[in-house]
Amino acid sequence: MSITEPLRHTVPNRVIPVLGVLALALVWLLDLGTIQPNRIVPGTGHGLLSALGWTGAGLVTGVLLATTVLSMVPVRRRYELLLGLIGLSLATMPLLLDVFAALHLPEGSPYARSSVGAGFWSLLFLLSLMLIETLGRLSARRWLQLMLLVFVGGSWLVFLRGEGLESLSLVREFNARPDKFQQALWTHLALALGAVAISAGLAFALALKMIRSPAWQRPLLGAVSFLQTIPSLAVFGLLIAPLSALSSALPFLQDLGIRGIGWAPALLALIAYSLLPMVRNTFVAITEVPESLADAARGMGMNEHQVFFQLKLPLALPVIIEGVRITTIQAIGLTAVAALIGAGGFGGFIFQGLGQAAMDLVLLGALPTIALALLADALLTMLAASLKPTPATA
Amino acid sequence: MRVWLPATLLASLLLALSAGMPVLEPLFNWVQPGKQQVIYERESFLFLLQNHLMLVVVSAAVGTLVAVAGGIFVTRPFGRDFLPLVGQVASIGQTFPPVAVLALAVPVLGFGEAPILLALVLYGLLPILRNTLAGLEGIDPSVREAALGMGMSPVLVLVRVELPLAGRVILAGIRTSVTINIATAAIGSTIGARTLGDPVIAGLVNGNTAYVLQGAILIGLLALTTDSLFEALERSWDRRLQSVGV
Amino acid sequence: MIELKNVSRHFGNTIAVDGVNLTIETGEVCVLVGSSGCGKSTTLRMINRLLPYSAGEILVDGEDITTMNPEQLRLNMGYVIQGTGLFPHWTVARNIAMVPTLLNWPRERINARVDELMTLLDLDPSAHANKYPQQLSGGQAQRVGVARALAADPNILLMDEPFGALDAITRENLQLEMLRIQKQVRKTTVFVTHDIDEALKLATRIAVMDQGRIIQHDTPENILRHPASDFVENLIGKQDRGLKLMSLRPVRDLMANHTEPRQSEPGEHVLREEDSVRLALSVMLWQDLRQVAVFNAQEQETGVITRERIIQEGV
Repeated sequence: MSITEPLRHTVPNRVIPVLGVLALALVWLLDLGTIQPNRIVPGTGHGLLSALGWTGAGLVTGVLLATTVLSMVPVRRRYELLLGLIGLSLATMPLLLDVFAALHLPEGSPYARSSVGAGFWSLLFLLSLMLIETLGRLSARRWLQLMLLVFVGGSWLVFLRGEGLESLSLVREFNARPDKFQQALWTHLALALGAVAISAGLAFALALKMIRSPAWQRPLLGAVSFLQTIPSLAVFGLLIAPLSALSSALPFLQDLGIRGIGWAPALLALIAYSLLPMVRNTFVAITEVPESLADAARGMGMNEHQVFFQLKLPLALPVIIEGVRITTIQAIGLTAVAALIGAGGFGGFIFQGLGQAAMDLVLLGALPTIALALLADALLTMLAASLKPTPATA
Repeated sequence: MRVWLPATLLASLLLALSAGMPVLEPLFNWVQPGKQQVIYERESFLFLLQNHLMLVVVSAAVGTLVAVAGGIFVTRPFGRDFLPLVGQVASIGQTFPPVAVLALAVPVLGFGEAPILLALVLYGLLPILRNTLAGLEGIDPSVREAALGMGMSPVLVLVRVELPLAGRVILAGIRTSVTINIATAAIGSTIGARTLGDPVIAGLVNGNTAYVLQGAILIGLLALTTDSLFEALERSWDRRLQSVGV
Repeated sequence: MIELKNVSRHFGNTIAVDGVNLTIETGEVCVLVGSSGCGKSTTLRMINRLLPYSAGEILVDGEDITTMNPEQLRLNMGYVIQGTGLFPHWTVARNIAMVPTLLNWPRERINARVDELMTLLDLDPSAHANKYPQQLSGGQAQRVGVARALAADPNILLMDEPFGALDAITRENLQLEMLRIQKQVRKTTVFVTHDIDEALKLATRIAVMDQGRIIQHDTPENILRHPASDFVENLIGKQDRGLKLMSLRPVRDLMANHTEPRQSEPGEHVLREEDSVRLALSVMLWQDLRQVAVFNAQEQETGVITRERIIQEGV
């Protein structure tokens, strides 16, 4: 027998104290941030106390201690309080960087920049874990989670666009190339979403084919999972030779921009990769609708067309959307790799940064890629949940 | 033994190509005309293969150890409080693109093999952890109850009952993890790990399609060999226990 | 002998078991019966320490179970549960051999014991020993479950709704099987069920439970004749108590014995001494007879039972 609901608030939480103590240790041991005189010269690190002074360090320590204590004492609405405290801390974290830059950045040196240290990342990571834990204990609704995400994300955006963080190296890198960033964003989205859309159409047709002629099931599933096995770099590489041969043989293709490198092989490879999760989920979703339901529908006089569109498809939709979710996340990641063959997108910043040993440029590519993937995950999970024909039972 | 045949054949082909790539020089001359050098020679393919494999095997071994230990910890009575969080992290973590994880490891550890190993271990851990949890949680509770009720100690229940029953699912997790890591290790060439991705990257930089092809073919073969190895492992596991489990 | 003295179990404000006193004599079958959530399974699982208790004490053969190593305690108690709990990755033979293996019996002794038990439970060793549990029918799987519980010849048998998931015919067969085996092995048995008919059929004594307490603890006959409360009365079914009592009573009690056993042709559907009075009455009603001949196990006619006597003294 499990612990009953009203008792939730009297049982001390063991997870948040562990995370809290860990966060305290890391935030005091590691550098919160570094100051660099310019882009190339390595910077000097500052620990929590040195970075923020007694007030700031005390505040951070106080908040972490408060969450730890709060999670252990039997107060009513404890998890709601924790959620508020942790959410607010996460949203105001950029303020720490703001204070850090204001305290330490030398006046009148336009090349000096501040960057984020391991201590800050650890704090961010552990606070996020606490947030996940708290949301889980509250079994919070999806819309509440989304609102929290929007609140924290929005607050970060506001801080990053504000004047206080202009010296932050990440912001500097962004300000140096706002157009390129925007272009990378659109390219990235266009490639990833284009591949998802095309493969969704293809996969739907293939899944229907497999349902109508079962003899196709094994070879088709075998073929798409074979494609998924080959590492992305190899697929991009293998597509270069045939595509460049094709485009030199047929000049009109060149006019369309189809060459051995660039968006064409990237899109092709992304579609190939997207097929497995799409086809598998679509096929499974439609075939798993109980045949007894279809029989009942036929028995009541529905024709095959109606059975498919009014019964099978609506019931299968959440699982199909789950396939779209997996595919989208995967495509966003692979698009970053496709920058290696000149497809553009955020991967361009990553590899350019790696080439120049400019870590902030790497971050400028990596962080938005992660953000896109998380956003796609959140949106599509919500969509799948809202399409569930029956309300989920507790 | 027939299940092992594809893996053996693919492995032989992989080794033969790694050792004897220069034999194919005329072919690559045809693919990439007008270059003095068409066979990648900065590092021997065998060395790159060995290094690539080493990275994948070490990260899989460490990842399996950590993930299975973690999965066991959070499914015991003393660790159960951590189960929801760990389960969530295992699934949210997998939405992080592997390239991004790889890129983020560089600012922390610098260039070379250390950051790539860290990224591979961390990222590879997640599918194994997720499958370990699924495998252990998927065991019919009455089996565990009966085992305890008949006088097996909790350690014995874990070793004789839970792990063998969850093993097939854990193995599938390792397979996913290794597949991802072979691909990620190849991209690791961009941060200074010497893997089969090297010829591809070098070829892309120098506009030498022959290099790209050589790297791509070997990476593809490595992935196929490993995959058919796991396929054979899973088949022989299933055969040993017939239709047990799933 | 198992003694529960004032045993309670609660967490927070929920009370699962409330001050239970119960003594189960050596060799008797004690059936805990009640609706779901009444604490009967919880009580059973406290006896082999799968669950801890908050207050009171439990003694097995006079010894407090909390002083014993839980594994040692359980090795001496067979345990059978509804879902069988057979290990899906082990063969039938290995499943049955589980406890003897834990006790490090020599290999030959284990093999002999497995064969012996499979035969006892009417499972052909050559046909089933090397099968896996999921290749068995529900009834066969539960037979293996019982065989596994008996393997190391424990003194005590704990059974938690063992036949609850089986169809009516298979359940009936296994109940008869259990009565037969119990006659041979005489284990101290605690049996949990929500089925009052199963309880009446199998029990030496029944403990009726409700809301964590024992309402009545008595023989099946006394429970039927003198239900302690409305709850018990409803549980046993007010109206057909008469027939239930008849089914507890063997024909032997009410028959008129012949002076000498007679040889005669028993026919296909024959009434035996150990059949219930209820069955005798049913046979008479169906075939419109005033009396029926009764046979013993050696196919000899030993007496007759009359409709008149059943009506007068049956209940």
